[in-house]
Amino acid sequence: MSLVVTPGWYMTLAALLFAIGALGILIRRNALVMFMCIELMLNAVNLTFVAAGRALGNLDGQMAVFFVLVVAAAEVVVGLAIIVAIFRRRESASVDELSEMAG
Amino acid sequence: MNLGDWISQPVNWVFTLLALASAYSGVRVVTSQNVIRAALFLVGALASSAGLFLLLSAEFVALTLVLVYIGAVIVLFLFGIMITRAPLGRDVALDHKRRAPAAITSIILFAVLSWASIRAFAGREVTGVGDATDTRLLGEALLGRFVVPFEVVSFLLLAALIGGITLARKDLSPAEEEAREAT
Amino acid sequence: MGFEIDYLAIAPELILVATIVMVLVLDFVLPRRAKYFTAIASVLGVTFAALPLLILAVDGGSREMFDGSYTVDTFALVLKGLFIVAGYLVLLMSVSYIEGDRYYQGEYYFLILCSILGSLVMASSRDLIVLFIGLELTTAPLFMLAGWRKGDMKSNEASLKYYILGVLSTALMLFGMSLVFGLTGEVSFDGIREGIGDAAAGDASTALGLAVLLIIVGFGFKVSAVPFHFWAPDTYEGAPTPVTAYLSVNSKAAGFVGMLILMYLALPGASNYWAPALWIMAAASMTIGNLAALRQQNIVRLLAYSSIAQAGFMLVPFAAAAVSGTDLSEAFSATVVYLVIYSIMNLGAFAVVIAGARKTGTGDIDGWAGLGSYDARLGVLAAVFFFSLAGIPPLAGWFAKFVMFRSVMIAGGVSTVALAVIAAVNSVIAFYYYARVVKSIWLDGAPATALGDRADTPAGSLRLALIIAGVLTVLVGIYPTLASVFGDASRVLAAG
Repeated sequence: MSLVVTPGWYMTLAALLFAIGALGILIRRNALVMFMCIELMLNAVNLTFVAAGRALGNLDGQMAVFFVLVVAAAEVVVGLAIIVAIFRRRESASVDELSEMAG
Repeated sequence: MNLGDWISQPVNWVFTLLALASAYSGVRVVTSQNVIRAALFLVGALASSAGLFLLLSAEFVALTLVLVYIGAVIVLFLFGIMITRAPLGRDVALDHKRRAPAAITSIILFAVLSWASIRAFAGREVTGVGDATDTRLLGEALLGRFVVPFEVVSFLLLAALIGGITLARKDLSPAEEEAREAT
Repeated sequence: MGFEIDYLAIAPELILVATIVMVLVLDFVLPRRAKYFTAIASVLGVTFAALPLLILAVDGGSREMFDGSYTVDTFALVLKGLFIVAGYLVLLMSVSYIEGDRYYQGEYYFLILCSILGSLVMASSRDLIVLFIGLELTTAPLFMLAGWRKGDMKSNEASLKYYILGVLSTALMLFGMSLVFGLTGEVSFDGIREGIGDAAAGDASTALGLAVLLIIVGFGFKVSAVPFHFWAPDTYEGAPTPVTAYLSVNSKAAGFVGMLILMYLALPGASNYWAPALWIMAAASMTIGNLAALRQQNIVRLLAYSSIAQAGFMLVPFAAAAVSGTDLSEAFSATVVYLVIYSIMNLGAFAVVIAGARKTGTGDIDGWAGLGSYDARLGVLAAVFFFSLAGIPPLAGWFAKFVMFRSVMIAGGVSTVALAVIAAVNSVIAFYYYARVVKSIWLDGAPATALGDRADTPAGSLRLALIIAGVLTVLVGIYPTLASVFGDASRVLAAG
């Protein structure tokens, strides 16, 4: 009989975070918030990797988390660059309209 | 096991607190109508995850999470919000019409996933709570068996960096480019 | 403890890395007018990267590094060859396109090369982490390249859509992988394969099934199989056309290769979960892709739906063999042959689209009416590639279809025959819309305005890409043994 928290608990929490993130992807329309929801889902992935690695006495789980962290950071950079590019385009479009009116 | 035994273990308490904090912050990330607030609740969710990593004796990963995420990624998010001048007040970003099916989908996802993983991991235990992971072993694995992904991921970061700058920078007209080169 | 590094085995990757660094330095040093040299450096670098592949292929054998997590065997070599040749053709197609529109040339080639590097790494991966990192490096640069036409709102939206679905699919796939790791305690394919038996038997079977489904859904997005295809047409239309060609060939092939080696090398013990999923995805992709393609007026959107349908055809052998429980090695080589032939002819079709769009000034199929009458060579090439995609002998496409149906026949069984019937019906439907493009080019009269000053011929590099793809399409169609060599090479992996 175990008194301490079992991996199943961690897995359940991870499943919960994953489902919350998925919900966010489905209902949010703001791209930045969607990125945040994806970060939540990746966080759930990390929790699963670490908990499973701990339960199995295996370091590979923690290695996987490192790579997930780095990839997630890189993806955020890419995503923000795309959003900034779109924002510039919208902004410049409105500026063009203004200059046309002035001319 | 009875409730008294369960309460007598501090580890259970800490886990419950962190799990609740993490779940609450997660829900607020999804439901906050203010983008900045959503980003700050993401900090809460990640910080409680870092706490859980500590509870799982993965100290190095926990600290990396704090440094990389809370230190860098969240700041990046905040910059993104500022640069794109996302509305700072209430934002009607929720699409009301599709809320119910989405909620049902994610509840089913959670139910199935958690049921399956509780069944799958029923017999296992988290052993050795409090034993630190030897960071040296992690380092050796990273530069030994995992050296290929380690090197390749550096190209991923480089690509994200250079591509990101190119995509986000302001386009200059040909004349401006020439002028810049001349200097 | 140290690991032996076999430098010959990773020579293609190393040459590519050197090229990437050189392109960056050149882009920094060169003045604006001379940025053209970054293109030359990229093309040369990719050519040189192919040389060690030949040496390794002649040498034969399997070279394993880092506890077998990075393996260079004949199968990996075939795929690396495919990625390099396809990447080479895309680079050739890019030169005039990118130069003409005042893009950031140096950065463009840098990102394409990074993506090729990722696919090379992935072809050798025998470990979840290497697979995941290779796949990410293949796709992450493409999120940015899809939005490379910064002034065009369509391109911006293409990249945002592709990015969100790409990252979402990564998250789904990773959650599946983390469950697989939790159930087996291994990240290497060999370890997972051995550990999966226990997991599939006991209480963990549901979790294993979910993990496999999440992985399949993640890859389904990457290969744009129905029902995870909805991002593809918009992204393909909005992205610069050479990037679209790369997306529909290299990135799709990378997704396929990742999915198949994972299923075949790591998860054969869970085939009762993924086989039905693949069967449904194959049938739905063929049918829905083809039906939607019938309605398209824009040629790039037509090719987008066609590539969704072709992804369905590619899934057929593997799905059929897995559902009927027969040996997967035959199906595996059939899929590789299909993938190789598809890549060449689809790149050819995109090269025609780039040349034709410049010639006619439009991407509408009706706007291409009579193209054959004022540019016969381009018209002939268009006919070659589109008929090849339709699977008409003696062009390469027929052999791909033949190999697919042969492997289905070997598999046998009711559900397999049903899949074969769906594939056959779809081949007929597909013929209709491919033929419509050729009909417009050759049989419809040219509009009076088109004939005038649009006499410019495609740039030299684009012509080279057209010639290479055209020659290969015709040659493989006439001498199919050329392609079956690849299939045999991938069967070696199956045996070992």
